[in-house]
Amino acid sequence: MNYSDKLNQVENSNDDTDSQAQTLGQPLSDFLLQLEDYTPTVPDAVTAHFLHSSGFEPKDPRLLRLISIAAQKFISDIANDALQHCKMRSSNSSSSHSSSRSKGSKDRRYCLTMEDLTPALAEFGITIKKPHYYV
Amino acid sequence: MEQQQNMYRKMLTVAISSILIETGFDTVDKDVLGTLTEMLQCFLCEIGSVSKNYCELSGRIEPVIADVILGFVEMGVDFSGLQQYVKGNKHTVLPPLQPQQPQKQMNMLQAGTKQSLPNHIPQHLPSFPDPHAYIRTPTHKQPVIDYEAIREKYAVQKKDMEKALTKFLCRTNPTHNLFDNEEANIFPLIACKPTFPPYLSALLPQDQIFDPEDLEYDPKSQIQNQPARKRIRSESKHSDTKMQTDDEDENQEGLNKGGEKESLNWEIDNPYLAATKLPSKGND
Repeated sequence: MNYSDKLNQVENSNDDTDSQAQTLGQPLSDFLLQLEDYTPTVPDAVTAHFLHSSGFEPKDPRLLRLISIAAQKFISDIANDALQHCKMRSSNSSSSHSSSRSKGSKDRRYCLTMEDLTPALAEFGITIKKPHYYV
Repeated sequence: MEQQQNMYRKMLTVAISSILIETGFDTVDKDVLGTLTEMLQCFLCEIGSVSKNYCELSGRIEPVIADVILGFVEMGVDFSGLQQYVKGNKHTVLPPLQPQQPQKQMNMLQAGTKQSLPNHIPQHLPSFPDPHAYIRTPTHKQPVIDYEAIREKYAVQKKDMEKALTKFLCRTNPTHNLFDNEEANIFPLIACKPTFPPYLSALLPQDQIFDPEDLEYDPKSQIQNQPARKRIRSESKHSDTKMQTDDEDENQEGLNKGGEKESLNWEIDNPYLAATKLPSKGND
């Protein structure tokens, strides 16, 4: 029973992934319809300029918005990862130094530095090495 | 062209800043901001390039959503969470750019109409600046350096000056009338101040002034020793200064006094017409 249940579960999961793979385009095309009333943070004209420089000129302006949202999410994911790193550091330092002091209010102001960004980008497969100063 | 690119990059930087604020960061390093801007620009260019390639691969010119999806897949971007991402947070929309108009301010300082471009200059080139910026108009006539004109000018000025001076003296000094009636004073004559005795200057000719003390009538010392306001005081002082000249007889002193008295008679109380007074060192 358990074995057959497990098999069923595996088959079901496989079916799910197949169905997901086949209908991958549909959610996005539905999504396009919803895009008309949503304005991404990156302005359309700016996205259009950079896409034009690569030769990508869509007739449908919703494609522009789709790409700008994808780019926005890309940056947002990296920022979230960096925020996790930053919070880990601040929690480590605060727990090691003094936990009684109310450092929480001061640490609420997070600063994104290269120290936090580098490991966050490394998880995405992007290695960054920037010199600290230029001579 | 570079300025346009800088502008677009600046807009990207602003968008990234707003995304970071949404994430929870308050400040960010300059390096990090530059890095993220570069990454975003590369992402956009890359997805555009890849989608375009897929589009052309399938024999089309205009990209479709499928090309974009394939582009995402090739780049390894997970777009399954896009819908959730959009619905989840309320993302800030950047305010539209205000078009800067510095040109308007410059036009306010416009003085005169700009000249049109001449025929040999194409029209797409910028127009001329305001005419006062490059056209020199002399504000006054060139002076006349003609010898005759200058001589004539000088003569006219001299004549006018003499006329004015004589008129002034007529107004201020005692005058004689040509006619008997006092009313019609059309031709006033400046009264002559006779010295007593009249032939004294003829008897004592003076070509040069060697010793100021020998002078009977020294205009400078008279002016210095006379305060403008009090007449009586000036008379006494004047007599005092004249006492210092030991060479003179009493007669001459009396003569001087008499002569000076007449001159003192016409002394003016008006401070504007009185002689200039040196700053007082002592009681004088």
